[in-house]
Amino acid sequence: MRVLLIDPDPARAALVAEGLEGIRPLEVRQTAVLEETEIAAFAPDVVVIACDSPDRDTLESLREATAANPRPVVMFTDRSAPGLAEAAVQAGVAAYVVDGLAAGRVRPVLEVAMSRFELMQGLRADLAKAKADLASRKVIDRAKGLLMKERGLDEEAAYRVLRKLAMDAGRPIGAVAADLVAFANVLKGKDE
Amino acid sequence: MTVSPTTLERTDLRLGFIPLNDAAPLIAAKAKGFFAGEGLDVALAREASWANIRDKVQVGLLDGAHMLAPLPIACTLGLSGPATPMIAPFCLNLNGSAITVSTALAQAMRDADPAGMAQRPRTARPLRAVIEARKAAGLPPLTFAVVFPYSMHNYELRYWLAEAGIDPDRDLRLVITPPPRMAQRLASGEVDGFCVTAPWNALAVAEGTGEIVTYASEIWRVGPDKVLGLTADWARRNPNTLQALLRALLRAAVWCDEPQNRAELAALLAGQAYLNAPVEVVSQSLVGSPPYSADEPGEASLDYMIYHRYAASFPWRSHAVWFLTQMLRWGQIGDDVDIPAVAEAVYRPDLFRPAAAALGDGAPLVDEKVEGAHAGPWQLDEATHPVRMAPDLFFDGRLFDAAQPRRYAAGFEIGRYAPDTPRPGSAPKI
Repeated sequence: MRVLLIDPDPARAALVAEGLEGIRPLEVRQTAVLEETEIAAFAPDVVVIACDSPDRDTLESLREATAANPRPVVMFTDRSAPGLAEAAVQAGVAAYVVDGLAAGRVRPVLEVAMSRFELMQGLRADLAKAKADLASRKVIDRAKGLLMKERGLDEEAAYRVLRKLAMDAGRPIGAVAADLVAFANVLKGKDE
Repeated sequence: MTVSPTTLERTDLRLGFIPLNDAAPLIAAKAKGFFAGEGLDVALAREASWANIRDKVQVGLLDGAHMLAPLPIACTLGLSGPATPMIAPFCLNLNGSAITVSTALAQAMRDADPAGMAQRPRTARPLRAVIEARKAAGLPPLTFAVVFPYSMHNYELRYWLAEAGIDPDRDLRLVITPPPRMAQRLASGEVDGFCVTAPWNALAVAEGTGEIVTYASEIWRVGPDKVLGLTADWARRNPNTLQALLRALLRAAVWCDEPQNRAELAALLAGQAYLNAPVEVVSQSLVGSPPYSADEPGEASLDYMIYHRYAASFPWRSHAVWFLTQMLRWGQIGDDVDIPAVAEAVYRPDLFRPAAAALGDGAPLVDEKVEGAHAGPWQLDEATHPVRMAPDLFFDGRLFDAAQPRRYAAGFEIGRYAPDTPRPGSAPKI
């Protein structure tokens, strides 16, 4: 079974391709952009496409057999597994199959793709959170520094002041620290 | 009239759009506070394809979306994705698209038929001359792109080609390309021409790779292009939210159509979160009309983009019937489809009217109108207040009466439909 993977995100595509190695016999090819000549040359049985690829509409138009595309392609909706196609769209991926291919052979491919897409989304979310945490820690350090300098506090006392402000306001300590730094800049005339 | 948020079934909504000038009512409703004024907190999601829009609306990841006007019909009939009843209670715009060809093809058309290229509206006769010459020389067919099989653009391009005796399935290769990629494909020579909504025609002209042959409004003076699409199930479960949404969109459409707001609208649409396109290019299709080419300025009197005037927001059932006649004509549906019933189920003027009434906006009291009967401006008296209407001619002089869809579909020389044919032999690729 030949699988063509269309994904503008190369890191995610690599993750999916690696996951598909567990399913044999399988030949996988990756591309960032759909090329009709490539479809004709590779003749995939299954096309897995990221929902953020703009090529889905072009792919859907290949549903009629033509000279350039002798094997019609249809969106994979498995009646024996209701909700699968919906779950795939939620995971950000869609599968198209050559008309008539047995659902049982396609399902594992789609399931691997879905789980890898979800994994990638989780990794990206973790990374974004880590970056936000780091930025928050930096701003807390700056706010502590201001309090230490302006009020002659030691580091621990400066942190306690910030924590109390945060608890009183019911807001995250990073947000309170950011406000304090911003106000200090205004008072120092650094806003222009 | 404002409704307190407590009567709304939902206040947080997620609506999808494709980067095009006719997503304007959605984008303006968010940016200018018309959604907020109705108690709605709307997130707009830029989507990469019409297939995504369709699937996400069907599975509920989006509450509704900017849709190609024939798409809710195609979804309801199961022509595109699994059959899901969908509705179109609001028309987002009339016109807005154009047919663009590469500068090389435009030159070939001028060489082959200078008189034909000099006349307006331009027919496809100069293109036919080029196609015949290429055939005689044994060259491969030209490639034209549209955005989706179930789109005004597909039917509009086919209508224009076939009028000149070009069979779009036999004399050309038609392909599907996402709107933001059209200009790039034209520049690389992958396609020789395309039909798409603004601003992508003006971009090809600005980049010097294409020339606009004709605006949509020169083919059919007031043709529907995009609608708000939702599932029928969502509309049933959220009737008050839907009314709030329609009121907000109607206010936004009024705002978008005010000439003094068009420059601000262009700047808004051009932003990175929306079209992410050069503001000068976006603006050309909003303030006046885009130039046909570097040497030929645009024709501002042709209503390049209409958001609200001429009852543009009203979801005419006759528009749905017209789309169904074109589906029949090109073999996308067979004779078994109950055209009036499908039009009535999908296009929902009954849902539009209460929103217009709440705003005191004149709304038609009839669901259908004859197209192609008015050469000049006219007044629609069958409305809550009389509505000023635009000329509505087709460039071939044809008349469309929604009461006779099959006769109309069968009346074209080039087409796949002959009455009493149960199913077309082979559906075209697009």
